[in-house]
Amino acid sequence: MPDFETDSNLVQEYKYGFFTDIESDTIPKGLSEEVIAIISAKKNEPVWMLEWRLKAFKRWKKMKSPTWAYIEYPEIDFQDIHYYSAPKEAVDSMKEMDPELLKTFERLGIPMGERDALSGVAMDVVFDSVSVGTTHKEMLEDLGIIFCSISEAIQEHPELVQQYLGTVVPPGDNFYAALNSAVFTDGSFCYIPKGVACPVELSTYFRINAADTGQFERTLIICDDHATCSYLEGCTAPARDTNQLHAAVVEIVALDNAEVKYSTVQNWYAGDEEGKGGIYNFVTKRGHCRGHKSKISWTQVEVGAAITWKYPSCVLEGDHSVGEFYSVAFTNNKMQADTGTKMIHVGKNTSSTIISKGISAGESSNNYRGLVQVMKGAENARNHSICDSLLIGRDCSANTFPYIESEDDSAHLAHEATTSTISEDQLFYLKSRGLSEEDAASMVVKGFCKDVFKKLPLEFSVEAIKLLEIKLEGSIG
Amino acid sequence: MPTLNLPLTETPSLLGEFTESLLEESRKGEHALLQAKRTAAYESYEQIPNPTRFHEEYRRMDPELFEISSFHPLVIPETPVDYTPEPEDASYDVVISVSPEGIAIEDRNDVLVDGTLVVMPLDQAAREHTTLLEKSLGAAMVPGEQRKFLDVNGAFWNVGFFIYAQKGVDLKGGILIRYHNDKADSVLLPRLVVVAESLTRFAIAEQFTSPDDVKTLCISGRELLLDAAADVKLVSLQDWGNEGRHIGEDWARVKRDAKVNLFSMTVGGKVSKMTVGCDVCEPNANAYLGGMFFADREQHFDQKTLQYHSSPDTYSNMLYKGAVKDKGYSVYQGIIRALKNCVGVDSYQTNNNLVLDPTARADSLPGLIIDADELACSHGATFGNIDQEQLYYLRSRGIPEGEARRMLVMGFFDEVIDRIPFENMQDHLHAVIERKFG
Repeated sequence: MPDFETDSNLVQEYKYGFFTDIESDTIPKGLSEEVIAIISAKKNEPVWMLEWRLKAFKRWKKMKSPTWAYIEYPEIDFQDIHYYSAPKEAVDSMKEMDPELLKTFERLGIPMGERDALSGVAMDVVFDSVSVGTTHKEMLEDLGIIFCSISEAIQEHPELVQQYLGTVVPPGDNFYAALNSAVFTDGSFCYIPKGVACPVELSTYFRINAADTGQFERTLIICDDHATCSYLEGCTAPARDTNQLHAAVVEIVALDNAEVKYSTVQNWYAGDEEGKGGIYNFVTKRGHCRGHKSKISWTQVEVGAAITWKYPSCVLEGDHSVGEFYSVAFTNNKMQADTGTKMIHVGKNTSSTIISKGISAGESSNNYRGLVQVMKGAENARNHSICDSLLIGRDCSANTFPYIESEDDSAHLAHEATTSTISEDQLFYLKSRGLSEEDAASMVVKGFCKDVFKKLPLEFSVEAIKLLEIKLEGSIG
Repeated sequence: MPTLNLPLTETPSLLGEFTESLLEESRKGEHALLQAKRTAAYESYEQIPNPTRFHEEYRRMDPELFEISSFHPLVIPETPVDYTPEPEDASYDVVISVSPEGIAIEDRNDVLVDGTLVVMPLDQAAREHTTLLEKSLGAAMVPGEQRKFLDVNGAFWNVGFFIYAQKGVDLKGGILIRYHNDKADSVLLPRLVVVAESLTRFAIAEQFTSPDDVKTLCISGRELLLDAAADVKLVSLQDWGNEGRHIGEDWARVKRDAKVNLFSMTVGGKVSKMTVGCDVCEPNANAYLGGMFFADREQHFDQKTLQYHSSPDTYSNMLYKGAVKDKGYSVYQGIIRALKNCVGVDSYQTNNNLVLDPTARADSLPGLIIDADELACSHGATFGNIDQEQLYYLRSRGIPEGEARRMLVMGFFDEVIDRIPFENMQDHLHAVIERKFG
């Protein structure tokens, strides 16, 4: 298929790999108490926040980088990273935004200007270390919904931040969570008040622009009693030869009867074909179903990043609470992914569902690692897990490591996993219907992922399918 | 996890009396081949750090639980003792009985007479089958695995047997090895080497028992080498008394068209850690791993399996069934490994668990490590209590609840028990299940 190959080379290039040349305010490399104080000062933070950061830093210094994941990477020099970088011109509103920046977001297809006021998505955009703008603010304010950057929330809603920050992922939870707690720069903050169903999708877009910077995103979502919301995040970064670190912490709290749906389309730069460059995506995401009948649903489409290391988890503490995890992880070339979930059943009559689809192509390695834990007294816990892996090509690998721990005799847990390749029969059938091999394989892969894609909000589902198509091209045949 | 509060330290005392002086003691008067093998195992053993519960494999089974340093190696006299037949022996061709008093080998049906089948102690084999034993002893290990306790066995074994079947041997009854240890605070270290030439077919049963309230430890090592189209079944039944401890390692290497069945049934003892692994290393090699574990009172059982596919077009299937009752705790860890370019592999792994009481606990960690495409590997694990509907059905037929529960558990295990090639073993296991419900 000569036609296809020339084509794919064009498409396969990372579309978001450009770099925006704007003046930025970047602090020198290195990590110390002074650097944390500078970050805190730049954000004009209250003293309690600085103290919180320093406490986390103190703990981080005592911790060691974990080694249990099935991934390989050279040791990270934490002193060789800029911990803060921001576009120089302070932006007060969308209109005053740096035109260069606006152009960047237009290239990325992010609705930021007024003309998008009608589109059904409220957007917060984080550029390197700061949030550069949030849309739809007024409409949300009318409903009592707080949706802003976390820095803004620290200024304006300190009581909420103090009440919830670090209660789901404590600062000392793990190495990267501690690092994040010390140096986090920006992220989103959502608070949905009692009884409010958020009418639009809340969305945050993360972009790493400056070189040698780390991005330390911190997101906190709180859904009060009977509230619902759907949140989506997207990420891209310029194509660079050096690796960059993205260590995020996302915390979700769902109170009585609240429902949170969190979707991610992660498309960080994954490095080139030789595995040079790319983002290290070391992320801690955890949801806490605190209330009775609360529900947290994670959907993730992971198609980027050189190394992905994340386990969006649910702690099901409220009785009758529900946790869900739907994931498609695609790895190509030399990408490595060690991802999965944890479902911790604490309350009575809790249930959880896990559907994980891993696709590995090229020389990549794609691992599912998950924990289903039923604590003592978590009566009638239910879990169903399905982990399927699809291998394309002889040099890739797919591994599955589920951990199941049952301490209650009323639990019903079932886990199944399969690893296979696209079957010759399927390909033959589709080809006999006139499809090219590429299209046939792509169709099988899309069908393989369907269970997860249908959980995404509609627009993003379309985007995710397109993204996967682009990534797949050139890996089949 | 009850063991989580222990400090993170290496404990030099872990391996107690397993020191160089014991090695010298074990080597005394032995054939040079065995001496060399022991030394090699000892060297490897010394290089592997002591396992602690901070090693992933021992996270749920602290090696300290075995209290190895409080045991003394058993010395089994070399002079043979008289064979005392048991009713269950009737169905076997060869019966070996091992106790602290000595060893008896009984050829019941004269199958050893023409020399096509060899069953003898390892030191005799070292003299009579030197070249073969040199090639075979320690050869079934799966590469890349460091197994400290297999090396403990390799260096210090105190009773060992060699089973060798020449091409075409087809044994009807099978071989039974009965281990009984009634000496308090003693370690039994049995070693078994099985070499099956092409087109052979036979089955081996091993049975471990000890009286209640007698503290014993067993560190066993078994290895099987199967040549083309051999068909070997090995059943091992751990039915120790309530103070028995067992660390076992079974490894098989399976060549073209051969088929191995490895059964590991753990029902007795206080703590046990059993590892069963097979390397299907030539096309069309086939392995079946079956197992059951039933932990009641405060028993703590840990099972590990490895299905290692080092060749294309190889097959393996695994079924482990476990039940936990009272304060029983069971851990199952399993890995299917397919190496690079091993296409056409078909492998399955199933672990079903019955959690019968709220105080019992079961963990399951199935895993797949796949480095090739064009294959099918899958695993499944389930957890649950007895199905209420089935229970209701049986009770509606007038069966008392206790009896109905026992029947359902029996039915649960029969999927594995039915595949065991020895009827007396099946009866034994059924009796054990009855006992646990008694």
